[in-house]
Amino acid sequence: MTEHSRGARIATLVMGAVFLVALPFIVRDQYQLHLAQLIGVYWILIAGLNLVIGYSGQLSVGHVGLLAVGAYGFAIIAGKYDFPPLLALIACGALGGLCGFLLGLPSLRLPGFYFAMVTLAFAVIVTEQSVAQTDLTGGGVGLPVPGFAAPFDSPEGFYWLILAVAAAITWLTWNIARLMWGRALIGVRDSEVAARSVGISVYRVKLIVFVFSGVTAGIAGGLFASLQSYITPDTFIFELGLFFFTCIIIGGRGSIFGPFVGTVILTAIPEVVAPLAKLGNFFYGFLLLVVVLLTPEGFGRLFQQALARFNPKVAESTVVAPDPALLRKALQRAED
Amino acid sequence: MFARVTPARGLTVLSALLLAFVSTAGVAYAQAKEPIRIGWLSSLTGPLSSAAIAENKGVQFAVDEINKNGGIIGRPVELLTRDTAGEPTKAVNFANQLLHSDKVHFIIGPVNSGETLATVGVVAKAGIPNLIIGALESLTNPKKYPRAYRPIITNGQWIRAANNYAIDTLKKKKVAIVGDTSGYGTASAKQAAEMLEKRGIKPVISLIIDANKADLTDEFSKMKAAGADVIMPWTAATSLLARMLNTRGDMQWDVPIVGHPALMALPVKPLLNKPEYWNNAFAAGYRTSTYDENGKLPPRTVELMEKIKPSLGGKIDFTFWWVQLGYDCVKIIEHAVIKAGSTDPAAIEKAMNETKNLEGSFTTYSWSATERDAFPDADAVMNIAGTFKDGSFQLAPTK
Amino acid sequence: MLNVIVYGLAIGAVYAATALVYNVMYSTSKVLSVSTGHISMLGGIFGAYFLAQLKLPLIIGLLGAIAVGAAFNYLTELIAVRRVLARSDEHLWLLSTLAVATMISQIMALWWGTEPKPFPRLFPQGFSQGIADQKYWLPIGATIIGAVGLEIFYRRTMYGKLFIATSEDAFAARARGINTDRIRALSYVLSGALGGLAGFAAGQLTFAYFALGFALTLNGFIAIAVGGLGSNLGAVIGGIALGMMSSFATYFFGGEYQQTVAIGVLILVLIVKPEGLFGSKQVRPV
Repeated sequence: MTEHSRGARIATLVMGAVFLVALPFIVRDQYQLHLAQLIGVYWILIAGLNLVIGYSGQLSVGHVGLLAVGAYGFAIIAGKYDFPPLLALIACGALGGLCGFLLGLPSLRLPGFYFAMVTLAFAVIVTEQSVAQTDLTGGGVGLPVPGFAAPFDSPEGFYWLILAVAAAITWLTWNIARLMWGRALIGVRDSEVAARSVGISVYRVKLIVFVFSGVTAGIAGGLFASLQSYITPDTFIFELGLFFFTCIIIGGRGSIFGPFVGTVILTAIPEVVAPLAKLGNFFYGFLLLVVVLLTPEGFGRLFQQALARFNPKVAESTVVAPDPALLRKALQRAED
Repeated sequence: MFARVTPARGLTVLSALLLAFVSTAGVAYAQAKEPIRIGWLSSLTGPLSSAAIAENKGVQFAVDEINKNGGIIGRPVELLTRDTAGEPTKAVNFANQLLHSDKVHFIIGPVNSGETLATVGVVAKAGIPNLIIGALESLTNPKKYPRAYRPIITNGQWIRAANNYAIDTLKKKKVAIVGDTSGYGTASAKQAAEMLEKRGIKPVISLIIDANKADLTDEFSKMKAAGADVIMPWTAATSLLARMLNTRGDMQWDVPIVGHPALMALPVKPLLNKPEYWNNAFAAGYRTSTYDENGKLPPRTVELMEKIKPSLGGKIDFTFWWVQLGYDCVKIIEHAVIKAGSTDPAAIEKAMNETKNLEGSFTTYSWSATERDAFPDADAVMNIAGTFKDGSFQLAPTK
Repeated sequence: MLNVIVYGLAIGAVYAATALVYNVMYSTSKVLSVSTGHISMLGGIFGAYFLAQLKLPLIIGLLGAIAVGAAFNYLTELIAVRRVLARSDEHLWLLSTLAVATMISQIMALWWGTEPKPFPRLFPQGFSQGIADQKYWLPIGATIIGAVGLEIFYRRTMYGKLFIATSEDAFAARARGINTDRIRALSYVLSGALGGLAGFAAGQLTFAYFALGFALTLNGFIAIAVGGLGSNLGAVIGGIALGMMSSFATYFFGGEYQQTVAIGVLILVLIVKPEGLFGSKQVRPV
């Protein structure tokens, strides 16, 4: 990597960071800030899920169940039992990780499609139980959710909390993806047999990544609950799990920036088509189809291709020519 | 010198001047006639959409009527409709959009209680007046949501009317409660059981049934075996209610069914195996959409029916009280703005708290500083299920 | 109790038919379309439309529903599957079929309405027949016809053999001159017809309802997973098992535990036998 492109990369990152931190002052109104908070919360879950789907190739469509666990966990721990919200948030992350562990332990051994089915089943069961277990979850009526203490109780403050958590998680996933772990994950995704033959413990890698995604889902759930200020079982429908999956695939597997762009776009589309009222949902499906057909490799690739156009890698030609002196020596040795 | 002024440059200067003129004039004009923006959160697709679609007709008609007559205090009314599709997350997003981006002065809805639970706090935080049209009790609270007002009946009033009819008029004691697996269904079934026990009656059986379950023979066998002499369903799912009526008819068990207003809704009719299966069923209803002993409807109901019939295609083939409710919501806003003289939220709150006996099409509204539910108990009546005609129903016999 | 069994069989038959549809599509395209359940939804809605509203004779209504199912699935293949498969091997078809499913649901909600509408009686019959009522036996019959028909198709006809060849090894099939694109399109038409027939037969049981699509997609998916992808027998057994499990779970535990118990039990099956009851062990060449 040349000094030039490294400098450019750091500059872009700094600019992006400044933009994100200053966002509450740039957006027009509270509604756009609310959307930004929602995108941030979704991204916390999706960043972890990205490692599972995008990097290790496990099709999990049921992460909405883990989100629900985190959300209800936060509502109960911080709301009913009055724990300090930040502590409750950490507890939700742990709870999400635990559920991820229990879910992944038996199911990660299953081939891809069947694993998807188990995660789907998990989501369905969690939704049904959140209605059935009235004493714990308030049943159909749901639960109110407390906000955070100062300085996070204002909309801007809460946004910065979400930004901080999201940034930390993104940094974590970026490191995992970039270093040896990430290569191991991609190896597992593309060819399990080859990965095993190189000594990667496939099952252990998959499980650890899945537990991590459970932790991020739990944290995202807690923040989501606080953002909505009231949660009901209707919120955690299966379509939301498909939504997360869609964000990642549309963003492009094997990329972190791609799924982020995917999250932003997919959260924004329903808001844009909102004035269409009845026809809004139809147009959402239509736009989704158009986006999928136009960018089958995902946004990540589109972005990489655009970058490549600005930073063309000059091909260095290496001449493959024999070294005569060495060759003569080797031939002489062979003759002896 | 004039050769320097190219047509393009001249055009730019001219349009800049024009723009400046128009915008200053526009600003002056706008300040005098700033529209009154009403946000309408409706679940036009998804669950409970038939109620929302009918309410929407009432809302839109009222807005058009008001604008034709010059608006409210000279200001035109602008209606911003958002389809929440029954999803609380969408409802919260759109509530934020309407409140902060579109800067509405009032919000009507959402229609589903599940969505309203999520949005009422958001709207209250922004201090904007909210007309609540969901039935769950906890949606209004003078302290937590000081600017939320409910014109519609509450769930408890429905249940009480039905319970009173089953116990006092039909003289039944062994109640079977049925709810569906939705949030509303499970919560209402629980509430119904609690209210029965307050009257000293313990339900003999309480069942939760998936609204899509295609066969109810076992559930009915269980209820019959438990000795039930009245079945009380609390679900808005017309398919489930129709199947209940069918199963009761097919097994020729003449037990009365008394419960949720959806029991008499028109979509149930085509799903019945035989029209007589609708007999011996009674639903919670409203005095203003009930034919009295002379077969007449209250004058205000007739008035609205005549006005709105042409825009509905000449006939009314859905429950009319939804339309009345939607129409009244806008008229309530009109009344509040006229009384307060402006759309300032604090003035609106004061005006609403001082509203007594406001005569609407759906009912007569009174609110106060301590009471945010306007519907009077006396206006909750029981209707005979199979008597739909032009959107209204017959009164259930009281003997 | 007999009722629980008959109801379980009937609804299980609908799930089994959906699972068969999944199987036929998967075998030639390796795609699990989210719009699979919507085919049957269309069969039911258009059946009700042709018979009850347009008052056409029974045979026209039946053929019409089958045609609509086949046409819809063919369009799905054309729009959502073909281009996506050609461009990338990532699971993009999940998103494109999801988009198609969303669109067709919304169109039906806007045109047909959001309330369930009745499906007419196909054969004259009283309503107090109990378990002999046609609304149970029509879907069971349709699924049997569908399953048997598929078996005959696969074993006795040339095109059936082409299907099997394509599903076993698409590259080898292409090398032998089989136009795999056309075979795939044909398999979608065939499975669409089956889905339409199943939806038509189940109409009296489920009512003509736009929200049925997604519910069937989900349950059919569970059925084929338990039965084993790639096996028609597995599809049928898986569907019946899911239907019976749901019916018994509701009877013994009540509606609010129905999905938990039914799905929970089936998950246990998967954990014991990871490729499903009749699925082939996933052996991959190294």
